[in-house]
Amino acid sequence: MTTTTVHYRTPTGEVHSIEGTVGDSVMVTAVRNGVTGIVGQCGGNLSCATCHVYLAEDELPRYPEMDEMEDEMLDCTAADREDNSRLSCQLDLRAGEELHVTIPDAQQ
Amino acid sequence: MTEATVPAGTEYPFAPMPHTEAIEQYKRIAADRPMTRMTMPFGGDVWVIHRNQAARDMLGDPRFVREPFRTGERAVPYFVEFPDFLKATVQFADPPEHTKLRRLVQKAITPRSVNAMRDSAVAFANELIDAMVAKGPPANLVHDYAIALPIQMLSNLLGVPPEDREKFEKWSHSTLSVAGMTEDEIAANMMELAIYMSGLIAQRRAEPRDDLLSALAAARDKDDTLTDDEILTMAILLIVGGFDNTANFITIGILSLLRNDDQRELFLSDIDGLAATAAEEVLRHGRMQMGLPVAGGGGLVPFVATEDVEIDGRVIAAGEAVLVDPSAAGHDPQAVETPERMDITRQNNPHLTLSYGVHHCLGAPLARMELQVGLSEIFRRLPGLKSEGPAEIDMNNLTQPVTNLPVSW
Repeated sequence: MTTTTVHYRTPTGEVHSIEGTVGDSVMVTAVRNGVTGIVGQCGGNLSCATCHVYLAEDELPRYPEMDEMEDEMLDCTAADREDNSRLSCQLDLRAGEELHVTIPDAQQ
Repeated sequence: MTEATVPAGTEYPFAPMPHTEAIEQYKRIAADRPMTRMTMPFGGDVWVIHRNQAARDMLGDPRFVREPFRTGERAVPYFVEFPDFLKATVQFADPPEHTKLRRLVQKAITPRSVNAMRDSAVAFANELIDAMVAKGPPANLVHDYAIALPIQMLSNLLGVPPEDREKFEKWSHSTLSVAGMTEDEIAANMMELAIYMSGLIAQRRAEPRDDLLSALAAARDKDDTLTDDEILTMAILLIVGGFDNTANFITIGILSLLRNDDQRELFLSDIDGLAATAAEEVLRHGRMQMGLPVAGGGGLVPFVATEDVEIDGRVIAAGEAVLVDPSAAGHDPQAVETPERMDITRQNNPHLTLSYGVHHCLGAPLARMELQVGLSEIFRRLPGLKSEGPAEIDMNNLTQPVTNLPVSW
């Protein structure tokens, strides 16, 4: 099973580096490994906004532009939406590509 | 019928026992197996999932649907007979129809929009406390506080004008399990409520305001459209789901704090800082802290498997029903550290009381805000609040509500 590392920065500045499975999402990797602050209440179905993260600016171009549903849900987040806001259920782990995300101070 | 043989101490369902023993039983069951097949009082057999991760796997899997319940092809296995009007709601729809209906409402009940309602919730909670204080102790906290707050918030959200609040409350009250009305009275009130809401929907379509009904009516003109009937059904679901359950958890939360001196002292020392985590702990564990025996069996609204699906090593066969027991999942040691302990500071609290997946509680942000405000304001104003007798519970009802909680201060 191929793995890669996701670095989760908490609102208080701690960094949790988690070895996740390629193909899983950043949301699932967090929830499975007990990283608090990412809730993922809808299970990755784009019907809540509780897995909001800020993705490192230089890693944004790795993903295609977000679709309309994600865009709409990001207008519903508890913490402020920024230019680098993404729903972490839509970010899949890829071989050889580490990711750096910051968890907002509120999800719900 | 339950499984033929299970190890001693892991029987499920189980009869009422002291809550500490019930939690130990839940822990042993989760260690032994992910799910148990049980026969419900209505609607036949269902798999009940005990483990938190297995529950998430099922709730997040689109191969589990509710269509056969909605069409009547299969009865809903549950404690009580499921009312037909609930089967017509989004709760029993599957994607993609479900997605369209839900997203339109979800836009109005977001953490941000709900936050804007927080100030008015705080003000209204304080009005209710003023009235309780003026009348003097003892008070029935369910009637005087826990029920009144959610109905006011629902009126604000839906856009029921102040002059209509009294009748709206009377009709909506009949959907409440604590109301104790006859079936004829409930039917008459529900009919009046439906007629009233239909009129309000038509008004808002003609003259939109800044409320949910206007937003839903307006959504008709875009790509996603809703018929008046769909809006009405949605409004009724919000009233039924948002009123009774929220009132009940406000009561359970206050009661569980009254019964745990250390947690109440802690809460009083930092109400604003702890309101959010305290509310989550009440959702996960509050029912265990009511000073009443706890029975195990059943849980959230079921699903049906569309094909054979393996969950945590067990196959749920095509056509079989499955549901999650949130009490078990909230006390699964694999997911929750020292689950037997009430800890209002708990940071990692993956309870499933508001469900998970596409059908997770639509009103969750509103319910959370009301629960936080409901707990905070009563203890802020009346820090000496105390119980004046046992809570009364209606065990024969769908939501098993507390009907009376006598308190003084």
